[in-house]
Amino acid sequence: MKSKKNEVNKRSHQPPGQLTRFINWLVAPHLREEVLGDLEERYARRVKIEGKTRAKRRYWLEALAYMRPAFIKRKQSKYPSTAQRSDPFYNPDMILNYFKIAFRNLSKNRGYSFINITGLAAGMTCTVLIFMVVRHETGYDKDLANGNRIYRLETENIKEKHTSPGTYTGMAQALRTDLPEAELVTPLLQTYGSTFSIPSADKRFRESVVFTDNSIFGLVNYRLVAGNASKALGQPNSVVLTKSYAIKYFGTADVMGKTIRIDNKQDLVITGILEDLPVTTSFPFKMLVSFSTLKVIDPGLDLNRWNGWNDNYQVFVLLKKDVFPAQLTKRFTAIAAKYMGKEALPEKKIKLNPLSEIHYSPNLSGRTANVSLLKTLSFIGLLVLLIACFNFINLSTAQAFKRAKEVGIRKAIGSNRRSLIYQFLVEAGLVTFLALLLAVLVSQLSMQSLADILAIPLSLTDLYNWQTGLFMTGLAILTTLLAGVYPAFRLSGMAPAWALKNHGLTQGKQWFSIRQGLVVVQFTVSLILINSAFLINRQLAFFRNADLGFDKAAIITVGLPDNKPEKLQALRNQLTGTAQIQDVSFSFNSASSESNWMQGMEYRQGPSFTQIKTQMKMGDSHYLSTYGIQLLAGNALKDSDTSNFRVLANEVFIKRMGITRPQDAIGVKIYYGDGQQFATIAGVTKNFHVNSLHQKIDPALIQVVPNNFYQAGIKLQSERPDAESLKAALTQIEKVWIATFPEHVFEYSFLDETLARAYQSEIRTAKLIETSTFLAILIACLGLFGLATFTAEQRTKEIGVRKVLGASVASLMALLSKDFFKLILIAIIIASPIAWLAIGQWLQNFEFKIEIKWWMFAVTGLSMTAIAMLTVSFQSVKAALMNPVKSLRSE
Amino acid sequence: MRRSDLGEFEEVVLLAVAALSPNAYTVAIAEELEQETGNMVTSGAVHAAMQRLEQKGYLRSVWGEATAERGGRRKRLYTVTALGGRIMEESRAVRNRLWDRILPAIRLEWS
Repeated sequence: MKSKKNEVNKRSHQPPGQLTRFINWLVAPHLREEVLGDLEERYARRVKIEGKTRAKRRYWLEALAYMRPAFIKRKQSKYPSTAQRSDPFYNPDMILNYFKIAFRNLSKNRGYSFINITGLAAGMTCTVLIFMVVRHETGYDKDLANGNRIYRLETENIKEKHTSPGTYTGMAQALRTDLPEAELVTPLLQTYGSTFSIPSADKRFRESVVFTDNSIFGLVNYRLVAGNASKALGQPNSVVLTKSYAIKYFGTADVMGKTIRIDNKQDLVITGILEDLPVTTSFPFKMLVSFSTLKVIDPGLDLNRWNGWNDNYQVFVLLKKDVFPAQLTKRFTAIAAKYMGKEALPEKKIKLNPLSEIHYSPNLSGRTANVSLLKTLSFIGLLVLLIACFNFINLSTAQAFKRAKEVGIRKAIGSNRRSLIYQFLVEAGLVTFLALLLAVLVSQLSMQSLADILAIPLSLTDLYNWQTGLFMTGLAILTTLLAGVYPAFRLSGMAPAWALKNHGLTQGKQWFSIRQGLVVVQFTVSLILINSAFLINRQLAFFRNADLGFDKAAIITVGLPDNKPEKLQALRNQLTGTAQIQDVSFSFNSASSESNWMQGMEYRQGPSFTQIKTQMKMGDSHYLSTYGIQLLAGNALKDSDTSNFRVLANEVFIKRMGITRPQDAIGVKIYYGDGQQFATIAGVTKNFHVNSLHQKIDPALIQVVPNNFYQAGIKLQSERPDAESLKAALTQIEKVWIATFPEHVFEYSFLDETLARAYQSEIRTAKLIETSTFLAILIACLGLFGLATFTAEQRTKEIGVRKVLGASVASLMALLSKDFFKLILIAIIIASPIAWLAIGQWLQNFEFKIEIKWWMFAVTGLSMTAIAMLTVSFQSVKAALMNPVKSLRSE
Repeated sequence: MRRSDLGEFEEVVLLAVAALSPNAYTVAIAEELEQETGNMVTSGAVHAAMQRLEQKGYLRSVWGEATAERGGRRKRLYTVTALGGRIMEESRAVRNRLWDRILPAIRLEWS
C-alpha cells in the first residue's frame, strides 16, 4: 500500500485522469498496455520540454488519434472466455437463441399467437390512429413566425358567460386608434355564397370569401407567388387568389391584372396570387378581397357599428414584442367605455384569445378541434390497448404451466433467471413487433375512413413521419413491457423442482385470481363502451325524432342572391304555380339555424327595463305556414308590415317580459336596444326550437324585413315525397330560380339535412365509440376464447371422467361456462354505474335529453353476456361432446 | 512493387523503424518523425501504421522493458522483417532509377 502511494507521488505529472480512463475503456484490451504506456510517456516528455498546459492540450490530440476502429476493435479470441458471456443479454448467440425459441413458440401455438397478434394489432391500430388524429389537431398554426404574438379579439358577455369570436364592425378602427400596443390590426369578414364569374367566359362559382386588408400578410405567413404584399389589398376592388383557384377560374396561374366579377355587380382586379396553403392553418382562405371593397359592394354597410355583431367578422391583432394581454385589461376597459358606453362595462368584456387557442374554438376556417372528443378518444385508445395487453398477459400466464417443464429444465441445466426473463421479453417483443407491422398496415387502410368520420384532412404523411415513427417505437416498447413483464417475471420465478413436477393445476389457484381480475377489467371496459354507444345512439335518435315545434320535413331551402321585392314576387308567383309546391316563404334563415341574428331588445315597464337578448327571425307572411309554426294569440304578419314594426314574439320572449298569458302581450311595445326605435307585438307564437337541441330556446321575434331575406323555404305538397315527385319539384324550382336569377349558381338543400348537421359532432362521437366498442368486444372475446380453449384443454381428462360417470352435455357446459359467467356478472355490476355517470356527464351538454333508465343497462348487460357465452360455448360444447375414450386413452 | 500496398506514411514509418532499430518503439518513432518533418505526429497514427505494417508482414514486434515514464508499462519494440527490408529496397530502387533519369538541366531549373 505504502509503496504504491510513493509511486504515485513520484509520478507527479499525471495526464488527465478522466480521458485516460475513457481511453482505457475504449481501446481493445490487448492494446491497452502499449497505448496507455505510449500516451503517458509522451505526456511525461512533453511536460519536461513544453510545460504542463501545452502537454495537456497535446494529450487530448494524442488521445483523439486512438479513437479509431483499429484500436477499438476487440481481438477475436479462439477460445471465448466464459467470463465475458456471463451477461446473457450482450451475448449474440443467446440473442439469436431467444429469437429462435420465440419463433418456435409462436408457430407451435398458432392459435394463441393469432389471438395475441390480432388483439394487440387491433389495440395498437387504435392507438396509432388516435395519435395521428391528436398530432394533426394539435399541429395547427405552428409555422407562423409571430404566432405567439397573434391574438383574436373576443367579446365576452359576462352575464351569459358566453364569448363570441366575432366583434363589432367598429372594433378594427377603434383598436388602430386606441391600442398602441398592437403592431397590426387585421379585420377579417367572411361571407358565404357570393357568386364569382369571369365576364368573358361563362364560368360561375359560389364561393366564400374573406374581406381583409394588407395587414393579413404580416399576420399570416401567406406566400405571394405574384403581387406585392404591401399593396395587393390596398385599393378597393382588388382580390388575391390562391394558385389553385386561379387555375380553377382561368386554367392558368398567370392571372395578374385579370378581372373577376363578384355577385354580377362589381369587377375585381387580381392583384396577387398566393401559394396554396397548408392543411394545418386556421386561415385557409382561397380568395381575399380588399376590405375597402365592402363599401363599394354594399354602400349601406355600417363599418362603425357598436350594437350587435356578426360572428363572421373577426379582428386579429399582432401585439408588439414583449406585450402581454394581461397588461392590456385597462386599455380594453377604456375602449369598451369609449365606444359602447360606461353602462356596457358590467356586461361586456373585451379580451384577447391567443392564436394557439383559435383552432379549438369557432374560427373562420370552418374546422374546430373538439378537445373533449380528442380527450375521450385518447382515453378510449388507451383502454383498448390495455385490454389487448391483458389478453397477452392472460394467455401467457395461462400457458405458463405448459411451459413449466421448459422453464424447469432450463433452470436445471444452469439457466439463470435473467436469461429466462430476457427469453420471455423477447417473445413478447416479437409478438408486439408483428402486431405493430399489422397495425401500421391496418392504419394505412383504415385511415381514410377515420378521416371521413372525423372530417379531418389526414394524409399518408400523417402516418409516415418521424413523430409517428417515434410514437410507434415507444408504443411497441411500452406494449412489450406492459404485456411481457408480468409473464416474464412470473414464469421465470418458478422453482425448478416444482416446475418439473408439473403441478400446474394445484398451484393454478393463484394464477387464476389475477386472470379473473384481468378478464373482469376487460369486460368492464367493453361494457362501459357498449353502454355509452347504446345511450349515445338513443340520444341521437331523440334528436332525430324530437318535436321541434315546427315542421322540418319536405322543406327545400334555396338562397336568394337578390332580394328586390319585384324579384321575390316573381319567384313566388312562379313557384306557387307549381303542383308539387305547397308554400313558399322568404326569410333571413330557417326556423332553426346555426347562424343567427342576435339583437338586444328592451322591455320598458315603468322605471325598470328588462333586457332580452333576442333572436331576430326575419320572415314574410308565409313564414308561419311554411314552417308549420303555431300562432297562440294575435294576428299573423302581413307582407305589407315592412315599416310599421309589427312583430311576432315567441312564448319564451313574453315569459322574459314577465307576461304569462299570450293575449296580454298583444300590443306591447318593445325597444331595439337602448334606442327610441320600438316594435309592437302583434302576435305570440308557440315555442319552436330556434337553436339546436344543445341549447335552450332563445327569445325570438319574427319581423318582416325584406332587405334581409336571404333564403327561400319551399314546402312541398306531400310530407314524404317519393323520388320522382322530388325530382320534378327540384327541376321546377331550379328552372324558376335560374329564370329569376340568371347570373347566379343554383344550390339547394333539404332543411332536415341541414338541421342534422348541428349534431355532427355527436354523430361522430357515436361512430367512434361504436367502432371502439366493436374493437374492445372483439379483443375481449378473443381473449375469452383463448382462455376457454385453454380451460377446455386443461380439463379434457376431468371431462372424460365425468362423462364416463354419466354427466350430461348440458351439465358439462354449465361447468365450463360457470366461471366465466361469474366474471361477466361482476363486470356488469362494476360497469353500469360508471357508464351511468359518464353518460350522465355527457348529456349535460344538451338542454334537451333522454332519461337514463335501469333497463338500458340490463339490455346491454344481457347482450354482452350473450356474446361472451357464445364465445365460451364454442369451446365448451366441443369439449363436452368429445368422446371420453379419446381423452382418457392416452396417459 | 504492388500499388497502394505501402502508403507514404507507412513507408516513412517503416524507414524510421529501420533507422532506430533496435530501439524502435511508438513514441520514439513519433518523436523522430516530428523532428524530421516538423509536423505534429501522434503516437496513435504511428501505432496504427505499424499495426498495418505488422499485418502485412513488414514488421514484427516483441515486448521490451518497462519504464517508470510509462507508468510501469512495457514498451513494444518493432524490427523490420526480411520481407519489409526487401520492400524498402525495392521502393528505393524505383525512386533511384527515376531520380537518375531526371536531366540535370531540369534539376537546375528547380533550384
